[in-house]
Amino acid sequence: MNTVKQLFVRKKVPHINVKDNLTAYLFLAPSLIILGLFLFYPALMSLYYSLTDYYLLTPQLTEFIGLDNFKNLLSDPLMRKSLMNIFKFVILILPIQVGTALGLALLVNNQRKSTIIYKVAYFSPVVMSLAVISILWLYLLNPSSGLINEVLSNFGISAQPFLTSPTQAMYVIVVISAWQGAGNQMLIFLAGLQNIPSSIYEAARIDGAGRGRQFWNVTLPMLKPTSLMILTTTLIDAFKLIIQPMVMTQGGPLNSTMTPVYYIYRTGFTDRQLGFASAMTVLYGGLIIVFTVLQRKFVGGDTNE
Amino acid sequence: MKLKKVIAVLGIFIVFLVGCGNNDDSENAANDQTISVWVHVSREEPEGQAMEESIERFNESQDDYTAEIQFIPRSGSGGGYEDVINAALTTDTLPDVLTVDGPNTAAYAQSEILQPIDQYVSDKDDVLPSIIEQGMYDDQLYSMGYSESGIGFYYNIDMLEQAGIDTDALPTVDEPWDWDEFNHMLETLHDHYKKPILDMGFDDQSEFLLYAYTPFLWSNGGEITNEEQTEAVGYFNSEESHETFSFIRQLVENDYSTISPVEYGFHTGEYALLMSGSWTMQELDEEYQDINYGIMPYPVSSNTHELVSPTGSWAYGMSGTTSNPEGAGAVIDFLTQEEQMYQVSMANSVLPARYSVAERMVEEVSEPMQLLIEQNTKTGRARPSIVNYPQVSRAFQETVTETTYYDYSPDLQEILDTKAQEIEVYLNQEN
Repeated sequence: MNTVKQLFVRKKVPHINVKDNLTAYLFLAPSLIILGLFLFYPALMSLYYSLTDYYLLTPQLTEFIGLDNFKNLLSDPLMRKSLMNIFKFVILILPIQVGTALGLALLVNNQRKSTIIYKVAYFSPVVMSLAVISILWLYLLNPSSGLINEVLSNFGISAQPFLTSPTQAMYVIVVISAWQGAGNQMLIFLAGLQNIPSSIYEAARIDGAGRGRQFWNVTLPMLKPTSLMILTTTLIDAFKLIIQPMVMTQGGPLNSTMTPVYYIYRTGFTDRQLGFASAMTVLYGGLIIVFTVLQRKFVGGDTNE
Repeated sequence: MKLKKVIAVLGIFIVFLVGCGNNDDSENAANDQTISVWVHVSREEPEGQAMEESIERFNESQDDYTAEIQFIPRSGSGGGYEDVINAALTTDTLPDVLTVDGPNTAAYAQSEILQPIDQYVSDKDDVLPSIIEQGMYDDQLYSMGYSESGIGFYYNIDMLEQAGIDTDALPTVDEPWDWDEFNHMLETLHDHYKKPILDMGFDDQSEFLLYAYTPFLWSNGGEITNEEQTEAVGYFNSEESHETFSFIRQLVENDYSTISPVEYGFHTGEYALLMSGSWTMQELDEEYQDINYGIMPYPVSSNTHELVSPTGSWAYGMSGTTSNPEGAGAVIDFLTQEEQMYQVSMANSVLPARYSVAERMVEEVSEPMQLLIEQNTKTGRARPSIVNYPQVSRAFQETVTETTYYDYSPDLQEILDTKAQEIEVYLNQEN
């Protein structure tokens, strides 16, 4: 009798597991299918095209050419120029945008209801499309009739060329991009700040810590996970810079604002060299992964302990 | 039970897809005499309306074919229409007739997206040479332009007279000014207004720069490439090129023109002169009616005194994969005859592509438009028909831009040498 019962129980378990797994996979299927179709498949196709001479107008004549695209890429002067431009942009945008976001978050981080006005004001650039913002700033920054130069002239400063200067254009784009993106990160920092228990601040104050000491020894350490996430997403987003140069400067003047993503777009869809553009995408994507990993190691070292 | 339901739903979905496919096949069979036409404008635009009316007239004029027009508006950055064509290439769903931006003809012809239409277009002798030139590739006609465009130098009559310039003694198409005479006028205006007075579109970083500035180069006897389009070194960096770009550079160095013009500066009286196309007339006539303006032709090289003006616009082409070339050819021929071209040109305020249309229009349009038409019919030259035109035109654009940034690129010959080599690479690039 015991033997019979045991056999019966054993047979039941596998059946139930199989059924549950199937149900789970069916629920996962829509997301996995979409992810596969729109992310993994295009990435694999890009890898494949990077080894071909795919020309947009003659897809049927595509031929395998091995690593020729990558060889040409390594000696391409505009690729080098665009990489230098994007590194410059990334190095500047990280501290400026993240610092601005943190500063704004600290400003609005209190219990008064009136701060809702400032939250909305600081956040509103985020909801505007980058293309609209770029066009708006084109008018503001016009060397001859822009509002910015009108204001500067009131302080006796001569009209600045801004976007028409090869030396100033990228800095202008940095400022505009930081202005547009800081609001989003302000909210994330705000959430991080509000998750810090007030008891820790009370303990710090009891120990005689002033406002500055509280910031450096309580706020920043407690915000580390939030900061890490923000730095990572900002880094990746910064590397994707394309809209501002495309709309405001078309990569000029003199290629001073040409970025890798814009160069990829132009090569692929204006010049129709999709194979070469795919090679750029593969190489540049790899570069971003490397920098992201390096950043996590550099900034997130303590977390790994 | 649950699994069976899922399979049943998927099965229904699959049957639905197959059903759609079958429907497509039957539709194709029933419409062998339907000619599909894709155009890059929207139905609401005057040009789109004129096209639609022309298609209706085609359908009424015969019983063999029925043309169906489809509007796929082109967005400002070149997306939209081109994207749809590119997608159609990979799915083999190109229409029978499509509009093509003139300079794209060579690339589309080489890729067999278009096929030759020589035998379908009638009355070629009546067509402007620039239109034929624009549509040629490998000695065959692949696209037929249905309208022209041109650029002139808009001038503010009041501002010129205030500076003491006699507006009754300005240049004409038959008696254009050379670069020295042109500079003299600029100097007079600059001395009076103490600021840049000519908007040359230097802030534009698009194909406009090749379109607008090649006539200066050609007027001086310069070229971008050799006749076979295999060499640029020795042509684009020639002495004639150097002289031309020196002339362009001094316009900025002397403060006659600026690299960062105020938008609509001419329209608002900021600038006395504006180098722009026929499309600007509509803006001025409709929204800036207090500007009293005229148009003068291009200045000519002081060496040759030969007037050359820019041309080119969109054209009709026949798909290389059409199953009904006779029908497609009939549509293209009808749309590019005098009457239809006249309707499109008048509706869209563009220059005519046929001599006969020009003769009809001259009596009905304004004096500035008359000058542009005259300049176009007498001196127009097509943009180069090059397979890698996007790359070549950008190299030319960058040459113009670097010429105007004289502080950063002081050696003009070095710019020309570099760009000539760059262009030569594009000319011989395998696709």
